[in-house]
Amino acid sequence: MFIINCPYCGERDQTEFSCGGEAHIERPKQPTELSDDQWAEYLFMRKNIKGIQFERWNHAHGCRKWFNMVRDTSNDKIQAVYKMGEKPPVK
Amino acid sequence: MLNFNPPIEEEKKYNDLKIVEVEPTIKINLRSNKREFSTKIGKILSILPPNEANTSSGNESYSLLWLSPDEWLVYSNNNTKSLNDQIELENNLFNEISKLNQGAVTNVSDHWVMINLKGSKIFDLLAKSCPFNFKNFKKKGSVVQTVVNHVDVIIHNKDDNDLNLFVRRSFSEDLWLWINDSARFL
Ligand SMILES: [Zn+2]
Repeated sequence: MFIINCPYCGERDQTEFSCGGEAHIERPKQPTELSDDQWAEYLFMRKNIKGIQFERWNHAHGCRKWFNMVRDTSNDKIQAVYKMGEKPPVK
Repeated sequence: MLNFNPPIEEEKKYNDLKIVEVEPTIKINLRSNKREFSTKIGKILSILPPNEANTSSGNESYSLLWLSPDEWLVYSNNNTKSLNDQIELENNLFNEISKLNQGAVTNVSDHWVMINLKGSKIFDLLAKSCPFNFKNFKKKGSVVQTVVNHVDVIIHNKDDNDLNLFVRRSFSEDLWLWINDSARFL
């Protein structure tokens, strides 16, 4: 268990949140022009790295807002939390 | 319709703890990110919606709880309100907000069940199965949405050792039984 700082509600327990997977994946502008391989790449393939990862999270049992998080997947340390549409504060 | 068929209809007393279902209570959910929304609410309810997270505002008749940056819950403070009061308030809000595209007004009177908890042991009781840290919650008017025994709830700190807890109707009986069970071990 760890504490997540919701950008709207403040510090809350992890059990109130749900993870929505990798962040900043752009939907292709012209899906009809993609091959099946390219479409599958966009739809299913994720980095899933050990280390610093950019993720989307939802405060499911609180304000129900989505936001982004920079998390180290090897030790669960949260480097930054920022709102949807904002640029990541760390590289 | 105002809830005339409450699911619990019980009142229980334990050491330093009193729990009761408070019905009928008018509850209306408000959603908006428009600028004029605040003044419109102020005109209708004579209360301004709080902008600060986890807080509430209110007067004698109504309380207005912050739920998220663009969502609030208004509920009546005394259960003397009639069905006509509710229709009037809902129509007022609907005509001024929903109809003019200033936001959304949803009647949730039958969606939430309100349980009042009183006594010095209320936080000990909730802490038995709630991940929220109530240390910073003792301030009057504080609001939190969290889970108690895996059930979604909204908790409003009305007064010292006096909480109103909102639970979805279908979960209300389960949570009521859990509260009573836990109260025996305080
Ligand atoms: Zn939140």
